[in-house]
Amino acid sequence: MLSYFSRVWAARYFWIHLSLADLRSRWRRSFFGMTWSIIQPLGLTLLLTLVFSRLFNTDIVTYAPYILSGIIVWEYISANTVAGSLSFVQADAYIKQCNHPLAIYTLRTVVGSAIVLMLASISLYGWVAVVLPQNIGWSWLASFTIFPILALIAWPVSTLLSYVSTRFRDIPHALGLVMQSLWFVSPVYFEAKMFQNGGLHALVDYNPIYHLLQLIRAPLLQGQWPTWQNYAFSIGTAIFFGALAIIIGSKAERKVIFYL
Amino acid sequence: MKNNRILLENVNLHYASVAYKERSLKSLMASVFSRKKTASNVADIHALKNISVEIKSGERVGLLGHNGAGKSTFLKTVAGLYPVSSGLLKVEGQVRSLFDLSLGFEPDATGRENILYRGLLLGLSPRFMREKADEIVAFAGLGEFIDYPIKTYSAGMQVRLAFAISTTVGGDILLLDEVIGAGDANFMAKAKERITSLIEQAEILVLATHDFGALRSICNRGLVFHHGDLVFDGPCDEAVAEYKVINGLD
Repeated sequence: MLSYFSRVWAARYFWIHLSLADLRSRWRRSFFGMTWSIIQPLGLTLLLTLVFSRLFNTDIVTYAPYILSGIIVWEYISANTVAGSLSFVQADAYIKQCNHPLAIYTLRTVVGSAIVLMLASISLYGWVAVVLPQNIGWSWLASFTIFPILALIAWPVSTLLSYVSTRFRDIPHALGLVMQSLWFVSPVYFEAKMFQNGGLHALVDYNPIYHLLQLIRAPLLQGQWPTWQNYAFSIGTAIFFGALAIIIGSKAERKVIFYL
Repeated sequence: MKNNRILLENVNLHYASVAYKERSLKSLMASVFSRKKTASNVADIHALKNISVEIKSGERVGLLGHNGAGKSTFLKTVAGLYPVSSGLLKVEGQVRSLFDLSLGFEPDATGRENILYRGLLLGLSPRFMREKADEIVAFAGLGEFIDYPIKTYSAGMQVRLAFAISTTVGGDILLLDEVIGAGDANFMAKAKERITSLIEQAEILVLATHDFGALRSICNRGLVFHHGDLVFDGPCDEAVAEYKVINGLD
């Protein structure tokens, strides 16, 4: 297993190049280029905030960054599940020619979407610094931990999904549905207290997505450190999927090429 | 003298037939519930049958065989792409393979940029590739086209560039799959020279081809495949003769 990761490391120039090439082609020939990654979630936030703050009677100043944090993190999650599950199918030409460890092709999505997430989060930090300056403090350091932790979850999850969807091509389609339901039962746009007031505590307390979002929301929106439960759930999720990916991967890795 | 070698002992390789059947959950469910033997009789493909070969440092091996005989499968197995079903496969040395030429080329980027990209695909560092870039440009001999996007290249030009990169960056074992035929006569002469010099550095070349001329002039050992069996292993001329007999040519 260690040798597997050392091979991933040995191929680092290649997957870094692939991620950057993805981003280049994503922004190629557009006037705003990479600023689109900032503009897009901001525009959506404005729109949603206008509607939701009226609907739910919430304070627009704090609700807007709440939605923005939800949008950018959710975009990262869906990029690595729905799109990430096609990583091997997309990279079939490489897989058929070069004996690189397959996990580098999901790492490519993870790295690319992490860069987009970091770009998009600039607007979140900026926004909060302007409208909620009282929240600025040491606890903001904790908000940076969301990036490595998200990556540690996204990498094994998208690798797992890729193993399965190479075999069953229905999975990527079904995933769209699954992710939408997951979005619906998680406090991504809706506030956690709305679930709790409705008697749906479990959807918040045992939901890793809630705890992940708290890693960035608690410091930025409340000026507090994330709780140990937030970290326990987030890191626990990473370990669970990591172990599962290693177990499944050790059996499935070599057979993937036959299904491409 | 480096100690590179390829060793296969009783190697079998099957393509799992499930990969061609049951591609969807639907058909998997259907076969579970209907309990009926599916009409299709796609069996596992036995692509390599009990192959035992040893290739030592300095050998230039040509693979012959009809389409589907197992040449490409043999190359891809040696490259470590396909898992063997049984038997022993030992490859000592860094493998460089040239199977799909358009791969790793970004059509919108220039030839010069693509030299870097392909190098990264092969697992090399950007610094190493920048050092080697001039040498590759010189060998490919594409003139001013090296600064044009790859999408403007002809097939032959792509082959020249890919071949130049793969043979310049080194590696101990070079695997080629029916690609060198695409270069023009001028380039072929250069390619042969290059391959000869590779051999002098005690490296292994395995080449699958239908071009007997190239085979005779480049290789010093021929393997003939027939329906997944290795039927002949010996000097090139005899291998070509054997190939013709088996396949009912002349």
